[in-house]
Amino acid sequence: MAATALVELEGHIVDSLMLAKVLDIILDVGADYVVEEFRLGKTQQDMSFVRVQVTAKNDHALDALLEELQVHGVNRLVLVETDAVTLPASQDGVFPSGFCVTTNLVTEVRLGGVWRSVSNPEMDCGLRVVGEGEGLRVDTVPMHRVMKGEQIVVGNTGVRVSSVILPGRGGHFAFMNSEVSPEKPKGLLVRRVAERIRFARENGQKILVVAGPSVVHTGAAPELARLVGEGWVDVLFAGNGFATHDMEANVMGTSLGVSVMQGTPIEGGHSNHLRVINEIRRCGSIMAAVENGYVNGGVMYECVQKAVPFVLAGSIRDDGPLPDVVTDMPEAVDRMRGHLEGVGVALMLASTLHAIATGNLLPVWVETYCVDINQSVVTKLSDRGSHQALGIVTDVGLFVRELAACLC
Amino acid sequence: MLDWGYKYLMCPPQHFGVLYEINPWMHHEVQVDTEKAQAQWQFLVDTLQAAGASIVLQEPAPGWPDLVFTANAGIVSGDLFVASRFRHPERQGETPLDIAWFRAHGYRIEMLPEDIGHEGAGDALPFGDVLLSGYRFRSDMQAHTAISHLVKTAVRPIELVDDRLYHLDLSFCPLDERRAIMAPLAWDVYGCKVMEQLVPEPLVLEAYEALTFCANSVVVGKLVVMPSCPPRVGRRLESWGFSVVVCPVDEFLKAGGGCRCLTLALDVTLGRKAPEKENVSTDSDLSTGEGEVSLIQGESDG
Repeated sequence: MAATALVELEGHIVDSLMLAKVLDIILDVGADYVVEEFRLGKTQQDMSFVRVQVTAKNDHALDALLEELQVHGVNRLVLVETDAVTLPASQDGVFPSGFCVTTNLVTEVRLGGVWRSVSNPEMDCGLRVVGEGEGLRVDTVPMHRVMKGEQIVVGNTGVRVSSVILPGRGGHFAFMNSEVSPEKPKGLLVRRVAERIRFARENGQKILVVAGPSVVHTGAAPELARLVGEGWVDVLFAGNGFATHDMEANVMGTSLGVSVMQGTPIEGGHSNHLRVINEIRRCGSIMAAVENGYVNGGVMYECVQKAVPFVLAGSIRDDGPLPDVVTDMPEAVDRMRGHLEGVGVALMLASTLHAIATGNLLPVWVETYCVDINQSVVTKLSDRGSHQALGIVTDVGLFVRELAACLC
Repeated sequence: MLDWGYKYLMCPPQHFGVLYEINPWMHHEVQVDTEKAQAQWQFLVDTLQAAGASIVLQEPAPGWPDLVFTANAGIVSGDLFVASRFRHPERQGETPLDIAWFRAHGYRIEMLPEDIGHEGAGDALPFGDVLLSGYRFRSDMQAHTAISHLVKTAVRPIELVDDRLYHLDLSFCPLDERRAIMAPLAWDVYGCKVMEQLVPEPLVLEAYEALTFCANSVVVGKLVVMPSCPPRVGRRLESWGFSVVVCPVDEFLKAGGGCRCLTLALDVTLGRKAPEKENVSTDSDLSTGEGEVSLIQGESDG
């Protein structure tokens, strides 16, 4: 992991070219710098001062660089470390003023003189200190979940986040190093994703799939069902639309009234998905509809058969909705959170809102692949802080078929 | 002409010898001829006095053989004395003796922070209104900020990169307001650029010339007192109107010191006006004939 230090240099560093030399040295060893503060002396006699944040590829490289820089008068800034400050929440669902807002980066909080890792980094949350003595730990807590009296970190004192080497900058992520490009050999990308999924599986990590209705519209649902059936999916997030059309395709042979076999609209097909929703509501749940034989194939069927947990989150435009759809949004997000532990790879398949919602919950180390025909989805995901997301701009139907062919 | 260099502190070499090895020139097995050293040192004193400089003596002390190299005692500016902090324990005992001498002679004494090394005028020479200061082998870069505050002068640190020329006074000798003897062999590329900017008319030494220690010379007005003088260097100095006297100090070269190292100028006040860079007369011996002389190794003839 990249290592960073703040260093300072003071003196007649401009005319003497010391500053130029020091910055050259930093770049020459492959490290990088950001000038945080620079004060230029007004006259030739005045000293100049510069404070630079130096980032090297690891602790060892940083130490070696700092040792070299020391010879040139560059001193590491020793920050006095202090504990984080906490305040109790004064009411349920409300953080204390000045609460520390989290990122999805690796985060540590200093308590009792010890830096403690935050167990579940998630962006846009607060930091909650729980337990005492040996059992003291810090986790992230979303705003709506904070309870009156819970200790919440305020300010940024005693909180540090680690820089991460982003995927695509080396290591096993070295492929796909331009963030999004429609001009990539897709077959190669799919094979690499398959490799990463196998790798995650071999290391005991879970595979999360977030699926949009286009997966069904493009005819890829049977292949995704095969992936679920063969154990390549550990948890599924979707909305009312995906589950509805998956079961509609299974029961009626259409997806939003269009034949998934012929690709042509079926007469009266526009009502098909509503009839399916209605029947499943009659059954009481998707599981019940599978058990009584109404649904006997498809992604939702395989999820029930394989006991793969799924969370269906509602939206304002849902028909029905299906009885399994969680319409209380904070509740839906909380249920999604409950399935994230141990996830190593997240596959966002042709879903915009659910992909971004999931991205918001994921720590930065979860390998996230965003497959969409629309480049803007990947950009949106990155813009909302999920910098780890790698985009594959392609037809999701083709992608899933290729992936199933690689894995099954 | 330089307006300093007419009053020097020197220390008789009664106790001089090569008793340890702290630079590439020192070899324990090489014996110093004490009588010869004494004679060479006296000749240097006589030469400087004959040139019009006054010499003030410091009491030698047994056990501190390098006390003879008074240039390393500290930095003098007016009535201020900034005592050196020697890197090697072998020389650290000189500092209390130096401080005692300067205190007894009415100087204000200033100390550098404890964990910072600097070896005085051996690594700090004025040119124009700046103080050039070498670092790496004996002095720390960190010293420059403190020195600049104490002597109220801009300091240009120069990184020394050749351990045979381990002090700045082995590679740089100011001659007057515009000229200096310079051995870029000793400096890193940034140091070369700084020197190139600073000195309008450099006398650039080839490596073999620099290693004769000819930059470790003492300048008294228009007289240059040198430990050795390669012919080309002598011709150049004479064409500039300087006279050259060679004072052989080879007994002291055994310890890595030349004429300049044996003297500490006491009439220095730091912070003068910088020379104008315009109207540079091209040094025909040194330039490629295509504009200014470049000191950067690989670009210059040397």
